[in-house]
Amino acid sequence: MPALAHAIGLAVLAAALALVPLFGLNDFYLQILFTIGVNYLAAAGLNVLVGYAGQKSLGHAGLFAVGAYTAAIANIEWGLSPWLSLLLACGFGAVFGLVIAMPSVRVSGPSLAMVTIGFGIVVEKIVTEWTDIFKGQAGFYGISAPSIAGVSFTNLHWVWFVGALCIATHLMLRSLLAGRYGRAFLGVQMAEPAAQSVGISVVRAKTLAFVISAVTCALAGAVVAQQNQYFNSDFITFNLSIFLLVVVIFGGSGSLYGPLFGAVILTLLDAWLARWPALQHFTYGALLLFSLYLMPNGIAGAFSGLAARWRQGKVVPPAVPGHSALAATTAAAASGEILVVKDLYKAYGGIVPVRNVSFAITAGKVHALIGPNGAGKTTLLNLLSGHVAPGSGSIRFEGQEIAGWPAHRIACLGIARTFQNLKLFGELSALDNVLLGAHRHIETGFAASLLGLPSSRHAEATARADALALLGDLGLGDRAHEPAKSLPYGLQRRLEIARALASKPKLLLLDEPAAGLNPQETHELGEVIRRIQQAGVTVLLIEHHMDLVMGISQHVLVLDYGALIAEGRPEAIRRDPKVVAAYLGADDDAALTGDAA
Amino acid sequence: MTAFLQALASGLALGAIYGLIALGFNITYATTKTFNFGQGAFLVPGSLVGVSLLLLAAGKPHFGNLTQAEMTMTAYALATIASVVVVGAIGIALYYCAIKPFVGAGGLNWVLSTIGFGIIMQNTALAIWGPASIAVPSPLGSDVWRIAGAGIRPQEVLIAVVAVAVMVGLDIVLRKTRFGKALRAVAFNPQAAAIVGINVETIVILAFVISSALAGLAGILIAPITTASVFIGLGIALKAFSAAIVGGLTSPRGCMLGGFLLGIVEALVGLWRAEMREITIFLLIIIVLVVRPSGLMGARSVEKI
Repeated sequence: MPALAHAIGLAVLAAALALVPLFGLNDFYLQILFTIGVNYLAAAGLNVLVGYAGQKSLGHAGLFAVGAYTAAIANIEWGLSPWLSLLLACGFGAVFGLVIAMPSVRVSGPSLAMVTIGFGIVVEKIVTEWTDIFKGQAGFYGISAPSIAGVSFTNLHWVWFVGALCIATHLMLRSLLAGRYGRAFLGVQMAEPAAQSVGISVVRAKTLAFVISAVTCALAGAVVAQQNQYFNSDFITFNLSIFLLVVVIFGGSGSLYGPLFGAVILTLLDAWLARWPALQHFTYGALLLFSLYLMPNGIAGAFSGLAARWRQGKVVPPAVPGHSALAATTAAAASGEILVVKDLYKAYGGIVPVRNVSFAITAGKVHALIGPNGAGKTTLLNLLSGHVAPGSGSIRFEGQEIAGWPAHRIACLGIARTFQNLKLFGELSALDNVLLGAHRHIETGFAASLLGLPSSRHAEATARADALALLGDLGLGDRAHEPAKSLPYGLQRRLEIARALASKPKLLLLDEPAAGLNPQETHELGEVIRRIQQAGVTVLLIEHHMDLVMGISQHVLVLDYGALIAEGRPEAIRRDPKVVAAYLGADDDAALTGDAA
Repeated sequence: MTAFLQALASGLALGAIYGLIALGFNITYATTKTFNFGQGAFLVPGSLVGVSLLLLAAGKPHFGNLTQAEMTMTAYALATIASVVVVGAIGIALYYCAIKPFVGAGGLNWVLSTIGFGIIMQNTALAIWGPASIAVPSPLGSDVWRIAGAGIRPQEVLIAVVAVAVMVGLDIVLRKTRFGKALRAVAFNPQAAAIVGINVETIVILAFVISSALAGLAGILIAPITTASVFIGLGIALKAFSAAIVGGLTSPRGCMLGGFLLGIVEALVGLWRAEMREITIFLLIIIVLVVRPSGLMGARSVEKI
């Protein structure tokens, strides 16, 4: 949403909140407003986890409980002030977010659902059964509400307070999700290997999303306990976990405003149908069953089509032109051996795609890795980039041993890659794909991004300008705002190169960059690779197009059945009898002249 | 020791129930990568339809209590068949309403749609049968059998025998028959299965019918132990889900094993402290998944890069 419309919307909301007393609402209506706010708080954080990081949780009632019981126990048992209890609830929420993240980030799909359900049920049973501490169904009475200047909160104050919390949460999440953290979450959801290849730690991103959702959920629980002044174990049920997830998904997960729609509509519906409990349950069931069929992306998704049409043609050029990563020649183009591989070995059961391979990559040159299908080329590349852990052997990059390192750490050293089967962040714009490539260079801390500090905005603007310059340089400038998946295939291949270049690598690994390209596009690709070399980046490419390989590379490595059978200058490789035999299965010297692959 | 044997017996019976439902999860998950999250609600008609038919046959209103005399082995068998058929048929409705629109779409929309279907079913049952529970006598009577000093309820033996027979039967069907091969072909690659002439949608619908029928069977088998009511389903189905995940959702034998494992652990922990059952079970599950994310017997999936 454009900044102006957003500011107006917030002002209208704040004014409406301020004017609430004028409407003479009774406690019933104030309670509904309060509940909308609480549901929004819990759902807003959960949306970061579900909609952005792509991790579904069916156990957030457990985190709601953490907040509520912290607020109750801190106040009643430990005698802390309500304000301090509220802060402590957020802190405990964060801690338990970490606890649930630890097992959760290791599993996916139905197992993830199981782990989160398990967490929710364990918490539910603990607060129900461990009556010495949690009072079970009897519950805690007399939880103090916060007070300002000696005046305890009334229901009206609670509406204001929760309204303020919602606005603050919204502003912080809006700032966070628009920047590098939000992109990292989406990147992890859409293509984990690609996110790793630009230096994003998948584990850390998911953990962070869990913690964010835990904090807002715990805050919601604490606020409910304090406003209610009573809390018992009956609040914490599997149904609450489902309800919170429904608020997010029905409203529209992955949209900043989805949780708002969900919280408003479902809370109102709940209150309106409360008179007819049977009908309430039927409605609830029908909503779950049919709304996702009619609106797969929730209410926000149904609206976003309209919004996108309205936004079209409003591409804002950057104020200051940026620097393309392709133009910026590395000052001291390194020389010597940048990557040294020794006795690298990888087996999958009896299949050995990489068999004691040793070679060296010289800085500043273009190297080609060729070999028949199934020779182990892509596996070798995956070992270098850290996407697959080697069985044994050594990989030294600039003197540093990196064998067995996780992919995101290797990426951070300056090794970028593309994928044979494209792994773009499909729903994101070309620009966002490139910005994700630049992820590790956008220097802004979590707090600065959350609070939208000027330093963070500046870093973001600079990165945007640079990314646009790079896209322009590669002929993608006018398509910067199109979703990556809607680009033609050839441009998608080029966008992957752009994303890899945006990370300003020292070594670029290209896995069959010409696959599926027409002759014209293949020719242009050759030019692009030449320019990449001129920019001081060392290149290692896997390729079957021999014209391309022989035309642009200075050094060729040949792999067959997992073993390196030859290496050397292109002209020498072309005539090597072992290479010819590997390609044609016989001593036929007609091989490799032209497009033999 | 007798207490231990008694716990083991009831654990095996409960585990057989979990295993049956878990096997249903496996069959639909294999074919569609989805399963019925609202399966708990399918146990409800499973028990209540059969019991009500017996009540009606005895000339009573559909809601009431059965006497031991009205519950003969033949009557129970007929009620079981009726339940399985009715709930199996509901599985077809489940497929068209809650699964078909979301298959292959990715995401977890199917989780919510199946939960929604379950909520509607449960509330329909609530409207028909009301919230009270019906005591169901076991066809084998209520006298405890003494085996090695341990008191074992005859219904527990019946559950274990029927469940194991059904599991073995399904295992053979899945491995040896044309239908089993077709099912595995669809699970492996639906497009390729369609190319060789398998009607993929029929197979998938059959998978949901079997899965639902298994839940219905579990419902009528467990009724003499838990009583029949609208609210018995959720807890049992959640544990069956856990059993499937722990054993390995992709492995039919893993699902059955997971069921028995869970039932026995639950019964033994209950021997120690009843209130610790759920806490122990779910903590255990979390630990198992951390060590083996795809379950004890599940196939590890590796994303190809």
